[in-house]
Amino acid sequence: MNETHTHTQTPFFADKQEKLAEILSRYPADGRRSALMPLLWEVQREERYVSEERMRELAEIVGTTATEVKGVMSFYSTYHDQPVGTFHIQVCSTLSCALAGSDELFDFLSNELGIVNGETTADGRFSLQKVECVGSCGTAPVVQVNDTYYERVGRGRCRHLVDALRQGELPPVWRERGGDTVGAAKAEPVKQPTDRGEG
Amino acid sequence: MKVRVNDVELDLAPGTSAIDAVFAAGGDVPYFCSQEYMSPIGACRMCLAQVGAPRKERDGSWVMDEATGQPKIFWFPNLMATCTTQVMEGMVIDTLSERVKTAQNGMVEFTLINHPLDCPVCDKGGACELQDRSYEFGDGLSRFQFDKRHNEKHHPLSDLITLDRERCIQCKRCVRYFEEVPGDEVLDFIERTAHTYIGTADPGLPSNFTGNIADICPVGALLDASSRFRGRNWEYDHTRTTSMDDATGAAIIVDARTGRIERIKAALNPDVNKTWIDDGTRFGHEYADSPDRLTTPLIRRQGKLEPATWDEATAFIAERLKGLSGKDVGIAIRSDSTLEEGVAAMALAEELGTGQLDHAPRPAATLIGNQVATITDLATADAILVVGDLTEEAGVLDLRVKDALKGVTPPTLMPHGVPIADLRLKEHMPRQREILTVAAPYRVDLMRHAGATVRYPAGGEAAFFRALGKLAADANALLGEADEAAAGMSTGQARALVARLAAAKRGVIVLGGLALNRRESAEAARALVKAVGAKELAVGPMANSYGLELLGVLPSHERYGYAGMLDGAKALVLSHLDPAQDGEVAERLRGKDLLVVHDIFMTETAHLADVVLPAASVYERDGTVVNLEGRFLPVRAAPVDAGSSTDLTGVARALGEAMGKRLEGRSVRSARRVLKKRFDIDFAELPDHGLLPRAKSRGPVKALAGEVAAGTGNVLVVPSMARAEYLSRNRHLAAAVGGNRLRVNPEDAVKHNLTGGAEVRLKVGGTWRQAVVHVTDGVPRGLMTIPSLPEQPVGLAQADLAGIVVEQVRLEVAS
Amino acid sequence: MSDQVATAAKPAPILSRHDPRYEVTMYRYVGVEGAHTLDFYRSHGGYEAARKALTSMTPAQVIDEVKASGLRGRGGAGFPTGVKWSFMAPPDGKPRYLVCNADESEPGSFKDRYIMEDDPHQLVEGMIIGAYAMQMTFGFLYVRGEYYLGTTRMEAAIAEARAAGLLGKNILGSDFSFDITVHRGAGAYICGEETALMNSLEGLRANPRLKPPFPAAAGMYGRPTTINNVTSLTSSVHIINRGAAWFASMGTDDSKGTKLYQISGPVARTGVYEMPMGATFRELIYDFAGGPTMEPKAFIPGGSSTPMFPWEDRFLDMPMDYGTLAKNGSMLGTGGVIVIPRDKCIVDALYNLVRFYAHESCGKCTPCREGVGHWLPRMYQKLVSGLGRPEDVALLESVASNIKGNAFCPLADACIGPVQASLKWFRDEYEYLAANGKSKYAKNDWWQA
Ligand SMILES: Cc1cc2nc3c(=O)[nH]c(=O)nc-3n(C[C@H](O)[C@H](O)[C@H](O)COP(=O)(O)O)c2cc1C
Ligand code: SF4
Ligand code: FES
Repeated sequence: MNETHTHTQTPFFADKQEKLAEILSRYPADGRRSALMPLLWEVQREERYVSEERMRELAEIVGTTATEVKGVMSFYSTYHDQPVGTFHIQVCSTLSCALAGSDELFDFLSNELGIVNGETTADGRFSLQKVECVGSCGTAPVVQVNDTYYERVGRGRCRHLVDALRQGELPPVWRERGGDTVGAAKAEPVKQPTDRGEG
Repeated sequence: MKVRVNDVELDLAPGTSAIDAVFAAGGDVPYFCSQEYMSPIGACRMCLAQVGAPRKERDGSWVMDEATGQPKIFWFPNLMATCTTQVMEGMVIDTLSERVKTAQNGMVEFTLINHPLDCPVCDKGGACELQDRSYEFGDGLSRFQFDKRHNEKHHPLSDLITLDRERCIQCKRCVRYFEEVPGDEVLDFIERTAHTYIGTADPGLPSNFTGNIADICPVGALLDASSRFRGRNWEYDHTRTTSMDDATGAAIIVDARTGRIERIKAALNPDVNKTWIDDGTRFGHEYADSPDRLTTPLIRRQGKLEPATWDEATAFIAERLKGLSGKDVGIAIRSDSTLEEGVAAMALAEELGTGQLDHAPRPAATLIGNQVATITDLATADAILVVGDLTEEAGVLDLRVKDALKGVTPPTLMPHGVPIADLRLKEHMPRQREILTVAAPYRVDLMRHAGATVRYPAGGEAAFFRALGKLAADANALLGEADEAAAGMSTGQARALVARLAAAKRGVIVLGGLALNRRESAEAARALVKAVGAKELAVGPMANSYGLELLGVLPSHERYGYAGMLDGAKALVLSHLDPAQDGEVAERLRGKDLLVVHDIFMTETAHLADVVLPAASVYERDGTVVNLEGRFLPVRAAPVDAGSSTDLTGVARALGEAMGKRLEGRSVRSARRVLKKRFDIDFAELPDHGLLPRAKSRGPVKALAGEVAAGTGNVLVVPSMARAEYLSRNRHLAAAVGGNRLRVNPEDAVKHNLTGGAEVRLKVGGTWRQAVVHVTDGVPRGLMTIPSLPEQPVGLAQADLAGIVVEQVRLEVAS
Repeated sequence: MSDQVATAAKPAPILSRHDPRYEVTMYRYVGVEGAHTLDFYRSHGGYEAARKALTSMTPAQVIDEVKASGLRGRGGAGFPTGVKWSFMAPPDGKPRYLVCNADESEPGSFKDRYIMEDDPHQLVEGMIIGAYAMQMTFGFLYVRGEYYLGTTRMEAAIAEARAAGLLGKNILGSDFSFDITVHRGAGAYICGEETALMNSLEGLRANPRLKPPFPAAAGMYGRPTTINNVTSLTSSVHIINRGAAWFASMGTDDSKGTKLYQISGPVARTGVYEMPMGATFRELIYDFAGGPTMEPKAFIPGGSSTPMFPWEDRFLDMPMDYGTLAKNGSMLGTGGVIVIPRDKCIVDALYNLVRFYAHESCGKCTPCREGVGHWLPRMYQKLVSGLGRPEDVALLESVASNIKGNAFCPLADACIGPVQASLKWFRDEYEYLAANGKSKYAKNDWWQA
């Protein structure tokens, strides 16, 4: 009863065979299924979500069923089965960030953008989401826009961030590590607005 | 291994789980996630107990308890899930303390906080593990003050299975089942944490083995869609019997209520089907309750069939037989008749003095080879070659092949039965695919699980086996190009396969119908079996093919076989056979002096008959069948209301009386007296799991003179789990499998102007077949496949492709 | 060790960062511009430990050195690293895997992140040493999905190392071959649990697996596997460089060496500090992090899973080591200290954490899915929104105790431990809130300019 499906869309990897081969080559031959997560990332990076059609394609690639792909994908919080906005704004809301005002920060963004948790603006530009600890407790509160962290987002920086995003650009990051100054003491100032966490 | 459970001392095999220790000791702990024949996962946390064990000093002596002088017991700080704890020497398991009770109550409470209180309208009510355990362990009062989680309640996972997501307690049995048993991962958990729910992205659950999840779901979350809301568990009569749907003899329970079958469930037979059956077996029963069942005999008067009593009907037959020489009478029964019915048929033939006796369908070669494997042999084989489509032909074998791929031997039964938690089984176990080779002329499902596959040209079974035989005789032999093409494999591939089979200690070759339907291929196959020192399992076409051959329901001469008698006999008694579907045969039947049809519906043949006798369906008979490994299995009648219909022993009684004779086989009891003499088995006492008295029962097999199937044709008649002869009356199953599929290669579809989903009629051989077009690259160009009928057994046939009639075009539903 | 003379002659252990003998090692170049490049790393002595191990030590010697150093796993559980390494069966020619756990999702923890972003070669070197010691054939680095910069830096470092012959076939001219694949997670705390991590790496849902079999017997793809935290591996670099004795000269009886501690919450200088084990919370919080900026009432000692302590001298003066914390009913965990100010209602703080665990439960087992994932957060939500009743506190306690110790993996207890500790120390806040519908302490804006 298992028959192949007819595809209605061009397969995602149709013109990316090299990339596909490279990803598969990262894992041992008996571990083909391991490639599932990187493949999901690959699709999501480009299409901003993973459709059922893509799930079927990936299932065929790694030798499992679309169900399994969906089961795996839905387990993780950062794969999406609905498109997210051009700027996916994720506000950490766990304790250390909460103690630094992440709830208020979130409410501010929510008011600014006119969307609530989990929503995307009608123009598809912004999605807003509360997320759990992203490992930036020392530089709380933190806002992650797509793959880039903005740390110690005080009121002023938050305003600045929203304005820049409205202009359609990710502002340069203000990287801060805080804490131990042994290393920093040996170097130029830590604040390096040019050091972009490539998004 | 000495273990103490509460106050009971036990000696258990190493590797036993603590939960099985508890049950072996006659104790009890609740459990929801563990399930016989599946991996223990410790998820429901119901089976908690306090567990301790002695410890050894550095020098290997026990650490002693000064107070008692006994080895000191070190208790694990946490309660342990007994299903995932392995017993150790000296282990002590306490299931009765307050601490354990409190924990178990707590787990029931957690399980219930999101479980709806809809037991009164739940099909599982009365047979629900959660309901039972809640009474035993729950506190009765809910401390959960919030709304329960709401979720979809009537979600159709397929045409056969309905899911109630609110009732699910996330035991994962269903998910594990699909991965571990059929290996079709079509159901999984979606999301995580409290949002976790059961779901699929493969619509319709594409697997032949979906119904088992309704059996194992501990609550009413997964239900058999065909029997939903039909009755409560306690209202059903449960009949433990043997499936007659294929040659494997799976154990089933037929649940009937007020004279009709409401559902079929799998039963346990550790040596045959464990607790699994395919969907054909489970859902293929609706026809038996079809309103057009024959309930009374019919006699042809003035050209019209009219209702009559049994006395009238049998008197009519006896009268007509008087005018005929016994030799002119042909008697044929379908191959899923019981042994008892076989005795009746033989007695009738003897009484009439005819050698024209047969069972049909019957393959060209014997089913009783010299090295018949058991199903357990298959499940523990270290090299397997399957020829044919096992998934469709003998679903149980498909699953048992998959057992072999896991390399875990069947568990030893314990005092309480099958171990509840067999710790050797794991989720996502590596499968030794390399031991399995599957060969068929088209893509069959089992190929997905095989290390090597061979697609030989249709009809090429003999060439395939001969090629292997050649290499078995001489490993250095080379196949010529033509031989390679005919066998569908290169010399290298064939050599590797032969080497694997020959090197195996427990090699098994499974011969599907395609390999048996021509004598030359069967002979070549058996030569290979012998050459590589393997065992064989020959899949007979129907449930009792093996038994009826063993019993000898066979013609006295080649030309008196089924095909011969349709031609040559002047009178025919046919049980459950419908040869008139073939137009040419129908013509011949019109010319018979007497045509008696014993069947459950007004078949094409019944329409031509002089007398029609209402027959008992397979669910309404008491008797015995012999499965493909030679195991005698009990068949028991469910209380189904089918008027005055009866099985063939009833026919023998009534007809005998009309002829003034007390025939052997005039009742099941009388038939069993004959069988007892023949096999030295008391069939009235046959255990549920059957008997496999291989050595004694091997009767002398008459030289077989089977029908010689065509070696050429453009349509391959193939086995199907959903029996084509009844599919139109099996509403749910038909919907799930998408009807009788005419499978067509995409190029041929274009060529013959066929679209997927189109309902068509085509003439295959002399028979008009209805089918639904299914376009797939699973069949090669130039070949179509269509499901077999008892009268149109597997093998190549010639169809009139130019004359395909398209009756209705529907959009094909995605499979 | 039992030798009396040696014991007597042994210098006092280094227990404070103020000890002049103490030197920052692992975190030394974090924050230095360009430190993530191979050039920088090599010019600062990088890959010398790997060279030493691969060219002058046997695998067994490396394991012995790590054993002798007293290094304990930095991922949370604190299992002795050398002992863990010695569990691996001898090589049989088939694959065996080293997995580096860089999932770092425990709230309050962020040390691995900076190592990967700023000093990735240190981790590559640590993986080479670990892999050599256990004769691993292949390595996986599992980085949490959010650490995009860390992932790219690690990938770049691995590529650089590979190009320089530090990874791949015959590393540094030895006959040892090893390579690393970076695997990016996708947002699931449970993936930090080692068996869940392996499932995730195998492309399965990341539910924890049953143990036994332990990873050393059957881990990735059923093959022998060892899983180590990022800083367990980077520690081994310095152990090989400077010797086990150097490492063991720092720390308390059961906890040796130097460790990265993290501090967050309202203190003057939050962040990561490298300190010898045995330094006190007071030293970390006051001497290095500059002390609280709001009136404190409690601190979480080692990441959100570790039961909190009230702000009392006896707790502030505890050495941050494995044994002391265990004796006091908590755990060292990842060493991620979170300071909780007086004005944060403790029930609200716990609601935040319980919600985290509810979000992160994998859903496999009943008490965790239903208790942690559903019931507890609902009860907290009821309490913090002022709808609680006095009897709810006892109910909460009872539900928590039904979960404790009964779940499949430690995640549920990671939630319950903190809940129970908060009830132990701050029951009055629960009771006040349940009785009055509003909390004893409430500040309503935590966001600063
Ligand atoms: C719920 C849970 C989360 C965990 N998260 C992490 C983690 O993020 N990073 C980590 O290194 N170890 C984590 N651990 C511990 C690992 O299971 C494992 O013990 C550790 O990676 C072993 O490395 P080590 O011996 O070097 O500490 C976690 C454990 C649990 C139970
Ligand atoms: S649907 Fe049934 S079998 Fe499947 S997880 Fe839920 S309760 Fe278990
Ligand atoms: S945990 Fe479910 S049966 Fe043991």
